[in-house]
Amino acid sequence: MTLDQLLTDTKPALSQIYAEDLPELSQARDWQSKYRILMQLGRKLPPIPEKMKQPSLLVKGCESRAWLMHYYNQHQDQHFFVLDSEARIVKGLMAIMLSLVNGMSNAELKKFELAQAFDKLNLKPYLSQSRGSGLNAMMARIKDCCH
Amino acid sequence: MQPFDPVNFRGQFQFFQHNPGWVYLDNAATMHKPDVVVNAITNFYQRNNSNVHRGAHSLSQNATRVFEQSRDDIATFINAGTRQQIIFCSGATAALNQIAFGLMHTVLQPGDRVLITALEHHANIVPWQLHCTRFGVTLDIVPLDTEHKVDQQAFTELLALKPKVVSFSHISNVLGHIQPVAQMISQAKAAGALTVIDGAQGIVHDKIDVQALDADFYVWSGHKLYGPTGIGVLYGKTAALELLTPIFAGGEMISEVNFSHSLFNILPFRLEAGTPDIAGAIGLAAACNWLQKINSEQVKSYKAMLLKQFFAGLKKIGGLDILSSPVHNAGIVALNVQGEHPADVAELLNQQAVAVRGGQHCAMPFFSQLGLAGAVRFSFAPYNTEADVATSLQALTQAVEILTA
Repeated sequence: MTLDQLLTDTKPALSQIYAEDLPELSQARDWQSKYRILMQLGRKLPPIPEKMKQPSLLVKGCESRAWLMHYYNQHQDQHFFVLDSEARIVKGLMAIMLSLVNGMSNAELKKFELAQAFDKLNLKPYLSQSRGSGLNAMMARIKDCCH
Repeated sequence: MQPFDPVNFRGQFQFFQHNPGWVYLDNAATMHKPDVVVNAITNFYQRNNSNVHRGAHSLSQNATRVFEQSRDDIATFINAGTRQQIIFCSGATAALNQIAFGLMHTVLQPGDRVLITALEHHANIVPWQLHCTRFGVTLDIVPLDTEHKVDQQAFTELLALKPKVVSFSHISNVLGHIQPVAQMISQAKAAGALTVIDGAQGIVHDKIDVQALDADFYVWSGHKLYGPTGIGVLYGKTAALELLTPIFAGGEMISEVNFSHSLFNILPFRLEAGTPDIAGAIGLAAACNWLQKINSEQVKSYKAMLLKQFFAGLKKIGGLDILSSPVHNAGIVALNVQGEHPADVAELLNQQAVAVRGGQHCAMPFFSQLGLAGAVRFSFAPYNTEADVATSLQALTQAVEILTA
């Protein structure tokens, strides 16, 4: 497995999450259905193989461990990411986050506001709770990739 | 002595009236406060507030009297020989930092050894690491056996290396297992070591008699014993306390302060720099006095009954890895849903208004040894009910269903 392959596998998964799962999530009636969807979301992202989980990829500030890999396409000015988390609910939320920012230009990513974006999708309650810190840490790490 | 009545007991905690939908099983992190504690703190601020040990006016003398009465009450509560053996600090963490720092050079010299166990809370690991490295002292760790208990044979072997200090917890904050403290203390003493007991979980489970226990130090936090946050107790034998170099210096340490010699002497003062947490001490003493009046054996058997019901219920839920043993357990159950991260389980319980802790519980070395990301911890208190047990078991069943669907 290489970063290229992971990036290639991540992209369609994110498109599907954005197009299909997000609407489904917003229509879920009870918390059980919401969490079932969230956990399935996480499963759609390809896992980063253990061997590739270098300590430098570890995102600090999460209660559960999470990892982030990054590729910047200079020609097209696009940022691409691969991420993983050992906790499924957090990974699901991170997948949603990534579906919003993957492929963004440097300028777009710089001004992206997670809280605003989650608010628009009625996902804000997920940010205000304890795992919000893990998501925010991941977002900060994604933004650190800007130049 | 009043008999323990679970309904009446729970009724003394307003928290539950304000949070009726919740099942609170995070008692090992902090406990709720009965009215008697909240009232004592409010009462102090409303009626008696003044700084202590600055006896220029009668109000201060009155505040000092009330504050020092707390020390007497707490000394009685743990059966300390003298009141001066009760040192107020911010909690068990502060106490362990004071002891680790305070013994360097007075007891510990470069090349000496300190012994702790692999089951300790970070508060009983990191201060030793920090100061041992700085002062050239070696830190040895007693490993655990296959039942996640301190390996007693290894303990005996490591004692043969003649550590000058042996420090361990009375009850594991992760698993709830009660250590054979009496035996470990006597072995450590026979090996010539000073003994330090982290009583953060121990103090709430059992009636503590520090003289009978005979450790050199026994430390605990008020907030884990129905008291306010920010106050804790460093108990030490007088000779052991005299060995401590103060970690904090400042006001009130000695001589410049205008205080009454009939009430104070050097010892509690020397280790209590700055204005103490006066209201905290008063609140904690109120908790101790209140507990003294309740039949502690009945409290223990009630908690044991809840724990037994919980363990019985767990048996009916498949796919669990239960880390805690029901034997010699103080009311804490750590477990994992097989193949699932504890953060996910804790979050699904949170959605069902069951408060537990999920993670490593400030005991990373313990979980690294087991190769686990952590565990979900259910910790029970006497204000919990049989309904709490049933609800939490249902919630866990639901969480397992969602996770394994």
